[in-house]
Amino acid sequence: MSAKAEHYDVIRKPVITEKATMASENGAVVFEVAMDSNKPQIKEAVEALFGVKVKAVNTTITKGKAKRFRGQMGRRKDVKKAYVTLEEGNTIDVSTGL
Amino acid sequence: MQVTETLNEGLKRAYKLMLTAQELDDKVNEKLAEAQPEIEMKGFRKGKVPMALLKKQFGPRLMGEAMQETIDGAMNKHFEDSGDRPALQPEVKMTNEDWKEGDDVHVEMAYEKLPEIPEVDLASISLERMVVKADDAAVDEALASLAETAQDFKDRKKGSKAKDGDQVVFDFLGKVDGEPFEGGSAEDYPLVLGSGQFIPGFEEQLAGVKAGEEKDVTVTFPEEYQAEHLAGKEAVFSCTIKEVKEPVAAEIDDELAKKFGAEDLAALKGQIGERLEAEYAGAARAVLKRGLLDKLDEMVKFDLPPSLVEAEAKQIAHQLWHEEHPEVHDHNHDGIEPTEEHTKLAERRVRLGLLLAELGQKAEVQVTDAEMTQAIMNQARQYPGQERQFFEFVQQNQQMQQQLRAPIFEDKVVDYVCELAQVSEKEISKDELQKAVEEMENDD
Repeated sequence: MSAKAEHYDVIRKPVITEKATMASENGAVVFEVAMDSNKPQIKEAVEALFGVKVKAVNTTITKGKAKRFRGQMGRRKDVKKAYVTLEEGNTIDVSTGL
Repeated sequence: MQVTETLNEGLKRAYKLMLTAQELDDKVNEKLAEAQPEIEMKGFRKGKVPMALLKKQFGPRLMGEAMQETIDGAMNKHFEDSGDRPALQPEVKMTNEDWKEGDDVHVEMAYEKLPEIPEVDLASISLERMVVKADDAAVDEALASLAETAQDFKDRKKGSKAKDGDQVVFDFLGKVDGEPFEGGSAEDYPLVLGSGQFIPGFEEQLAGVKAGEEKDVTVTFPEEYQAEHLAGKEAVFSCTIKEVKEPVAAEIDDELAKKFGAEDLAALKGQIGERLEAEYAGAARAVLKRGLLDKLDEMVKFDLPPSLVEAEAKQIAHQLWHEEHPEVHDHNHDGIEPTEEHTKLAERRVRLGLLLAELGQKAEVQVTDAEMTQAIMNQARQYPGQERQFFEFVQQNQQMQQQLRAPIFEDKVVDYVCELAQVSEKEISKDELQKAVEEMENDD
């Protein structure tokens, strides 16, 4: 499956945190993805971009915090994260980039 | 780390070091593990960054450091094991230029080791120390020249004319084109005729004046006068002579002695004698040292590291070249090829330098802090007003300290050797000493 432009729009960036590192021990990779993307799209994009087989995709929306700036209430943007579980034998080195 | 010898010829040594990728990797991992608890990174609590990530981020940077460290360590260990002391910084080179991560590192190391310095039987050296007593004639001579510098001036008879060597006290007002100029006037100025203090022609024209006389002196400022607006101009000085005094040589008596801070004439004589003897002793010591070095040079023969000799010869050639071309002060000239003579001189210097260093080390000659401070003080005196800065400069500058320490060390070693050697004392006259000193200087 060749990579298309819209695949790049789905996947924003990898999430590199302690939690993501723990997930990677179970064969999962964590990405920040576009808010309007859905699981099949994410699966397709990851498979196309990284050339791996995806077993499952779990998504979660992290709500942005309400913050006060100069007395005015503001809100940070919400972020959609995708926990992508890969089929056995597939790996993605998230820290190297595309 | 594998070390293989590739060259062992004379004093030259060359080795091949091989650092396997595995060893290097281990070293890097070790370093990372050490640093891990202190590293903070976004997305991780402090110290919780996974090793793989750390390695990715800092690995390449640490790799160089680790490589340096291992190679340095290997070299130091090698020197410790073999007991060699390199004459100069060993030359270290990586042989596989297109080295990539994961490759073995091949390093070539080449150096010249310091030669084994043979034991010298210092007791077998016999030397002559020249002793010169300051005789009365020399003391008197010094005293006379001292008196001369302290000459007095006494009023001449009224109406007598000023001669060369007389002191004339006068007021003067100088004018250029009828206008007085700055610095061109003074009152009660004491001028010794013939001292050349004023511009040429001035003093000559004052010769023959009497006290109370008024005289116009016309002189032309020299072309290269330091005040540009006056250079080459003609000036008229109207002078009012107030006094004419004749010089009187100071009597060599207690009065003179007091002037120089001694109690009486005998004390002054004693002081002069002491000073002269110290001077002679210094010269005699130089001769003695030279003799000692000559003897050592004859007695000891060992291989010299060519690179040291070459460096020294170059330096000598360079220095001599500068002495011959005093107009060149910078180093923007072509390289100077040392001649055979320079090399010979350099060999002697290197040999003696190594020998003295060795002797000093064996005898545990040390330069104490007090001596060091003394030397720095002496140097600092050459920069009046900036002693403090100089002091600080030296304190921060290792090289400078080394430079100051070297002569003290050398002197102490020479002292030490002199103690062991058989030194006979010989009383000679001042002239003979002078001759010996000159001979020594001509040798150089």
